[in-house]
Order: sequence, then C-alpha cells, then structure tokens
Amino acid sequence: MRDQHISATGPIRWGYGFNQWKLGWQGFARLDDNVRALKITSAAGFRHVELSAGTGPWDPLGRPESLAQHFGSVRQFALQLPAWGLGGIPGLFFDPGQLSFEEGHFGLKTTAAADHPLLLQQAAVLGRGLAELGGEYLVLQPLPSYCQIGALDDTTLKTAAQLINALAAANHALGLQTHLHLDALSALRTVEQLDQLLAWCAAPNIGLALDTAELTIAGHDVVDFYRRYHSRITHFHFKDALAVDTLGEYQLPHAERALILAGGSRQIPRWFGELGTGLVDFKALLAAMKEFGYRGWVIVESDRGPQPVSSSVLLNSWYVQNVLNPLLS
Amino acid sequence: MTPLDRKLRFAYMDHWRIDGPQGHVSQYSSRQLCDQFLKQIAALGFEAIETFDFHLGLFAELFGSLVNARTFLQERGIERVLSLFHAVMYRNGVSQAHDRATHDGLYNHAHQVARSAEGLGVLNLIVMPAGQYYDVEPVSDDKIRACAELWSRVGKMTLDYGIRTCCHHEFYCGIHHAEQIRKFYEWSDPRYVFWYCDTAQHQIAGIDPVDLYRKLHERCGGFHLKDTHHVDQVDDYRQRPESEVTAKTTRRWFWEIGTREGLVDFPALFAAMKEFGYAGWVSVEHDKADIGGGNYPDSTAIAAWYLRNVLQKIYA
Repeated sequence: MRDQHISATGPIRWGYGFNQWKLGWQGFARLDDNVRALKITSAAGFRHVELSAGTGPWDPLGRPESLAQHFGSVRQFALQLPAWGLGGIPGLFFDPGQLSFEEGHFGLKTTAAADHPLLLQQAAVLGRGLAELGGEYLVLQPLPSYCQIGALDDTTLKTAAQLINALAAANHALGLQTHLHLDALSALRTVEQLDQLLAWCAAPNIGLALDTAELTIAGHDVVDFYRRYHSRITHFHFKDALAVDTLGEYQLPHAERALILAGGSRQIPRWFGELGTGLVDFKALLAAMKEFGYRGWVIVESDRGPQPVSSSVLLNSWYVQNVLNPLLS
Repeated sequence: MTPLDRKLRFAYMDHWRIDGPQGHVSQYSSRQLCDQFLKQIAALGFEAIETFDFHLGLFAELFGSLVNARTFLQERGIERVLSLFHAVMYRNGVSQAHDRATHDGLYNHAHQVARSAEGLGVLNLIVMPAGQYYDVEPVSDDKIRACAELWSRVGKMTLDYGIRTCCHHEFYCGIHHAEQIRKFYEWSDPRYVFWYCDTAQHQIAGIDPVDLYRKLHERCGGFHLKDTHHVDQVDDYRQRPESEVTAKTTRRWFWEIGTREGLVDFPALFAAMKEFGYAGWVSVEHDKADIGGGNYPDSTAIAAWYLRNVLQKIYA
C-alpha cells in the first residue's frame, strides 16, 4: 500500500476524533464495533485517536471503568492499541453538560459553583484514566451553551474560570494539559469575554482548542481568530463548516436540537463538512500556523455527517495527505 | 522498506455504490461522486482500480475521453484502471465459450473492449471463462477444450493491446471444480491465458486457493482478495437463476478480508506468494458488501487495515 504520511511526530501531530461514531443511546455500544471503527481510523492513516468521555454501559471506550470492564484495566487497553494499528490516545474530550450515570447527574455547569465538587470529581476520574493511558491532554467544554444560561456576566464567567483553574491544576498534577473548546452554541460570544476568561485562566497548562467549524458557524474568521490568540492556542479540531449562524439562532431554546439538528429557521441540512468542502480556509490557517510555529496536535473530526462515517474519515484523510501535508513540507 | 523495494502494489476492484439523496447510485453517476470515490480509495493507499468493461462508455461520457478519465484518476492518486472485468452475456446458442459456433462473436466482443480501452492504462482483461454451470453441464473435456481455444485466441489478440487475458472462476462457472480448472490451464496457451486468483470464489467451490496458487503460480496474472464465511455444500453452484445472488442457502457470500469468520487463509497465501516470488499487482475485492447493512467504505477500510497490519508484514 502507498505510504500515507500522516505523521504524529512532526510539528503538527495529526490525530482523529472518535466523536462521530456514536448513534443514539444504545447505538455503537458493542466493543467489536468500536474496535472496527478504530481500525478504520488507522486504515485512513490516523494512528492517534482523541476519545470522547461517555457514560453508562453503552460506551465501551468512554470511561476508565468501561475500559477496565472490557479489557481488565486501562493499561491493558493501552497495550492493545498497537495490535489495532494505533500509536496512542493523546487526549479526551469532556463536556460536563452531558449526563453521567456514574456521577448521577443530568449535566453540570461550570458556571454553577454548586456543581463544581461533582464536576471536579468526574474530571478527576477521567484525568486519572487518561494519564494511565499515556494521554497528554483533556479538551474541556468550558462553558454551557447560551440557551442554557443566557448572556454571561462577570460573575458567572469568573465562576467558570475558578472551575477551569481547579480542574486544570488537577490535570497538571497528572501531567495533562487542559484545552478549552468553544463551540458554536457557547454562552461565550465575544472576544472581550474570551480575553477576560483567558486572563483569569492564565496558567501555562491552560490553552485554547480552536475548533475550525464551531467558530466559523459562530461567525468568526478562524484565521483572524488564530492570529489574535495564537499564543494561547494549544490545540486544534479541524472540520469544515457549511454555513454560518447569521441569524443568531444560538439563542433559540434547546439550540442543540433546534439549530444544529433541525437546522434553525433556514433548515440548514448540515452544518459540518469534510475538510475543503466548506467555508474554512484551511490553507490560510495552516500557513498562519506555520508562521507562528504551532507545535501540537491537530485532531481531524467528522461530526454529524451522513452515513457511513468511514466515508467522511477517508475523504478527510485524502485532504490531509494531498492538500494540507504538502503545505507543511 | 522503501516503495522501490516493494514487490506488491495494490488495487481496488470496484463494486462500490453510494447511498445518497437519490438513493442507491453508482459512483460514476457524476464527476463529483467519482471524485469522492477515488479519493476514498486513494486515501487508504490503493494505487489503481479495477472495474467492469461496461463502464467504459460512462468514463468517456463523464470526462470527454478515456485519456481525460485517466488524468482525473491520477490527479487523485489513482494511477490507472488496472483491469476491466469483461462482463460476457453468456447465452445458449448465441454466446457460450463451450460452443465453438459462437466463438467469433465472443472474440469480436472482446476485441471491441480491448480496442476501446486505450487511454486508461488497462493491463488485464478478466473474464469468467465459461457460462453458468447449469448452462454448461454436463461439463465434458471437449467443452473445456472449446473454452481453452476461445480464450487462447482472445488472449493472443489482447496482448496486441498490451492487455493480458485472465480467467476468473466464479463458484458457479462451468469450469470451477479442481479437475476442470487443471484441464483448462493445461489445454489453454500459457502465453495467452492467465489465471486470476479469486480467493473467495475458489473457497466457496471447496478448493483451497492457497493450494491452487501453488499449482498455478506460473499462470497467475493477479488476485482478487476477498473472503467468504460459507462453502457451497449443497450444489448451490448449479442453481438458477444465478447462484451468487439468489442462492437459497446464503444471502451474502462475500466478505472483505480481515473478518473473524473468514475461511480463506490469507497469511498462508501471502507466504506462498513470497515463496514463489510473485511481483505485481494485487487487488482487493468485496463484492456485494452492502448486503445485510454493510457498506463499501467500511469494508474497503477494513480490507486496507488487514493488508497493512497483517499481510504486508508477511510479504510486501
């Protein structure tokens, strides 16, 4: 087979997200289906996979307890990775707003101080498991969506910053970086709010995860965004955006359903696309990343596309191999 | 190992179909769909595709010419259309390889395909060398000799176009038992008739493809690596209307390489290829992978994974 040259050892370390395979509560619950998806990701040339935190008995790779249940221990799972053609699990995505059977909640808010103890307890479980896996970072959804809490004020933002600092300090003690991931629905809407959050979360082990599609949908030019925040951007999620939320419909009640899934008033059929098919100027972004000497992980994602997921993974692989990688040489 | 050290190059035999807004469609329905198909194949590391000869007209129509079509392929990392599967419409009294009276028509059809393929870089014309078993039986030595005569004649002609004629024995083909295959290759001209080793078809027919490769390795023109979970134990091969798709016993015969239930011993095959120094193209196939809810991108990726992580470690 032709060499794929999707490196995880250069300045840019390519990996792939594992968030796109899950289909509903009980879908994609079998371990053999998960292993098959890992092999497909490896076959596409991505040997490093960013997992997503999950819960319950339907997510065999989503919790350290689940890994232990299926493999005997987290370490045994890690030892199995080379047999599937994988080099490692560099990180984990964690959205505290998702329910957790293990911690017994229907979603926690970083902006609610009362939620912090349980949230930190949950993050600690995930962090310890990730460290045992040999992971390097945790990607944190740092704020609830706008539709959940409305406009941010200094008090709520500061409450979230306190949680982030505590969580990141615990991660740091485990040898993990913490990357803050803003999505299209986030309550954090302005650069002034972001400047303030970053000022309150100034530790070097805390950085920003730039998700190209989420920020584009939210109305940002991601190249400009990167230029403004490059010194704090420590992680990337690469996926394309097919539309922009020009009507401010992130404010809709239940925007995850009403805007992202149902498409909002314009009935946008699909927000996220494969690299090179939408609005993100990846070539310009990569040029800027080279200019500022970015060194770190770039996790390519498929998100909410049509089935089969593998088709999206392969198309993204082709784009990385044939369009982006040549720009790096 | 550098690319120059490699003995094997890998191609994808195309049965791909896409589920989209228009339902189940061919990837040759538009340039955009073709673009996406080729990129997915190339991303996995395949360097060529194989397809059916009835797609030649589509290629010309979509791209203006076959030369343009090949350029389109190459821009996406696919070097050539390695092989055309010659889809002969075998009909009694009109076109049957075992019926010498119909040979001129079959020869002229193959000639037309070979002549029309120029520009795509085709190296192989793959053909089932006899009709369906129920149309050929009782299979006599004379019928096998007639088939050998036809494909020797065709093979001599296709070489003039730089194309080898390779015979591919479906499990329902009139020539698929071990002794029939032995006779066919004994009586066909080794200069002009090559054997295409379809691992699943032979396995279904009760023949170990590794043993067969050891016997016919000097005639081997290539491979279709695919697997099966079933062996034909009740003479499905002689069932009408077509055993491969309508057998009452088995809804899905073919699987991608690398499934746990697969019956073909691919590591042994690659060890034998290494022993006999096979060098050239090897194709992956998973015919009708969408039966029962499967899909082609998944199957192709799993096959590529198995090649890269298991078989290439034995022989590359």
